Amino acid sequence: MKLTSLTPDEQHKAFANSKKTEVLHRQNLPVSYHVEDHDVQDRPRRFLEAFAAILKHSNYRVALEHYVRVSAKCSRCTTHCQVYLATSDPRDVPCNRSELLLSVYRRHFTVSGLLRGRLTADAGLTDEHIKRMAEAFYTCTACRRCHFECPLGVDHALITHLARYILSEIGISPRALVVSVREQLIGASGNTSAIPVPALLDNLEFLSEDMKEEKGVPIPFPIDQEGAEFLFLPAVSDFLMEADTLMGNAAVFAATGDRWTVGTGYFDGINYGLFYNDQVLEKVLLKIKAEAERLKVKKILIGECGHASRSAKFFYPTFCGGKAALPVINILEYTWQRWKEGRIKLDPNIVTDKVTYHDPCNISRPGWIVEQPREVLKAFCQNYVEMTPNRRDNICCGGGGGTVSIDEIRPYRTIVAGRAKAEQIRATGAKYVVAPCANCKKQLRELVEDNNLNCEIVGLHDLIYKAIIFDKQG
Amino acid sequence: MQAWIDFGEGPLFRFSFVLMLLGLGRIFVLTLVNVAEAYRRSPDKILNYREIRHKTIAWLIPTSRLWRKRPVYSGISFLFHLGLILGPLFLTAHVNLWKLSVGFAWFTLPQGLANLLTLAAIIGALALFLMRVFYSPARALSRRQDYAWPLLLAIPFLTGYLMVNNTLTAGAYQAMMLVHLYTAAFIMLLIPFTKIAHCVLVPLSQLVTAVSWKFPAGTGARVLETLGLSERPTWVDKPRLDIAPVKLPDLIKVQSQKKEAKAS
Repeated sequence: MKLTSLTPDEQHKAFANSKKTEVLHRQNLPVSYHVEDHDVQDRPRRFLEAFAAILKHSNYRVALEHYVRVSAKCSRCTTHCQVYLATSDPRDVPCNRSELLLSVYRRHFTVSGLLRGRLTADAGLTDEHIKRMAEAFYTCTACRRCHFECPLGVDHALITHLARYILSEIGISPRALVVSVREQLIGASGNTSAIPVPALLDNLEFLSEDMKEEKGVPIPFPIDQEGAEFLFLPAVSDFLMEADTLMGNAAVFAATGDRWTVGTGYFDGINYGLFYNDQVLEKVLLKIKAEAERLKVKKILIGECGHASRSAKFFYPTFCGGKAALPVINILEYTWQRWKEGRIKLDPNIVTDKVTYHDPCNISRPGWIVEQPREVLKAFCQNYVEMTPNRRDNICCGGGGGTVSIDEIRPYRTIVAGRAKAEQIRATGAKYVVAPCANCKKQLRELVEDNNLNCEIVGLHDLIYKAIIFDKQG
Repeated sequence: MQAWIDFGEGPLFRFSFVLMLLGLGRIFVLTLVNVAEAYRRSPDKILNYREIRHKTIAWLIPTSRLWRKRPVYSGISFLFHLGLILGPLFLTAHVNLWKLSVGFAWFTLPQGLANLLTLAAIIGALALFLMRVFYSPARALSRRQDYAWPLLLAIPFLTGYLMVNNTLTAGAYQAMMLVHLYTAAFIMLLIPFTKIAHCVLVPLSQLVTAVSWKFPAGTGARVLETLGLSERPTWVDKPRLDIAPVKLPDLIKVQSQKKEAKAS
């Protein structure tokens, strides 16, 4: 995929640092995202201590040990990184980015590195290097696409994940993520959007009434139903911003008659731990577990949200009981299954505009949810087109890895990281871009706005809600 | 000179060959042990073996996916590896030597094909070297050893090719043989300790990656405990306002002090 190169103007806009000089000086960290004020002294020492502690207690050493041995610097990944395709800056080659961390590992945690350090009087990790890492690992969207193109099998997203974890241990992580997590884990509301339970209930009741008017059948949002089959956890922002998606979810359940519930104890699927800190990942999943146990549900059902789905599907067993852990499914899987069983009827004459599908990295890259939404869409959208590349090889929206929540880097996301995606969307000429992921939706909307694209970003269930048919018995 | 050649053919070859085998065996086994240990530590035992197998095979025999991106570079790289692996292993002259020393032999390539493979290795090595020099992202990635390897690897192939396909004077032949033997031994000694170790490690890459994504439970808490930060975990630690703001002049001073210390 060839992209037009950045104009100097775009370059300037995308990488402008909006922070005040005094803040930059005080924090001694010239990164484009905001961070909170933490200790700036002795960063290299603290970084290495955190690195050592993490290596000791985690499984990352296996990967690092292997990657420093096999990495052949072949530069094949240049063809696959949407950031590099946009900037053509060698610093954005995935392998080069990973080398930032691998070189620290090699220097400080391997025998040959330590020996070489002795022989050459190399001072080791510097403040400058940490600053470079702090910037580089947040320009990566952790989409894992480069992993497919690495002949040596290096997973650069794993390195990004680890590097962000270590950085967070010395107080370097985007304020946007940390503040949300603080609210989620120790705040009064217990969710990232700080929605109080009464407001949630009000909103759901309002949506229910709305749906009854529109569809003529009662479509409830069951609250705190003990013993329900599914505990429903969408990205909590859906409750405020994605009413159509939410109504689609509820409509599907009204049609199938399965027992599901929203828990007032915990109703947030968002897990920023996947983006910057493994302890957060664990704590959020434990909150889900506690709520699932309180309501005695049988399955965890994640809404239209890529990272929430991935963090629950692939890490719930890790932190919540191994083989005994409850099964985790995504609402797209659920809807597809019920639709195949013939329990959901969709009117093929409602959505006549051109529709295309954007694969959220977190659910498509592992090959988990790829064909299911396509089958459903093709069944009721008359004019369905594919983007290229698509499916597991799809290009990231440009807001992956939590960067979408960092509002101050929006120019970077819409000019650089989402450049390839914008081209892809433009090429399809679709009216609706179906993006079943809260993060992708936010990013794509901003992308559409900043790049003057003429299309609407929706979730799969937004369209399902439009097309769903109920047998009107009351 | 003949004594040097005899040494290169005999003890030096045996030593470097055995060291290469032991070294590669060591890291292969170590990697497997690490993988098993990591797997044991994680409560999540679900591994998608089908996917791991599929990806591993797809990269070991990259006949379908290799050509999709950068086909010229990929083609050269593929032929280079083919020549590098098959050439020395199945060359008649090499196999005959094995037969003389260990008593058994194996399948050999016809001389014409062996020549082609050797040429592929030599030309491939040069092309890959030039690619590194002239393709800017590759240049940005390259360390000194990355430039050195293709050139170093080309030497035994080039000398071997010249010895087989040319009528040389006795002195020139001996000189070629000397270079051939000693560079080959040098390469074998280096393999286990450098990136060329990927010759045995690549089949494990996908498994290593899959297992590394399986985390042990409770890592975060243990990390904080080790760091002595349990009281104020990083994921929640409020901004520390008690820290006096560091002014820029101070930082410059600190850094220049550090530099001086380093210089002295």
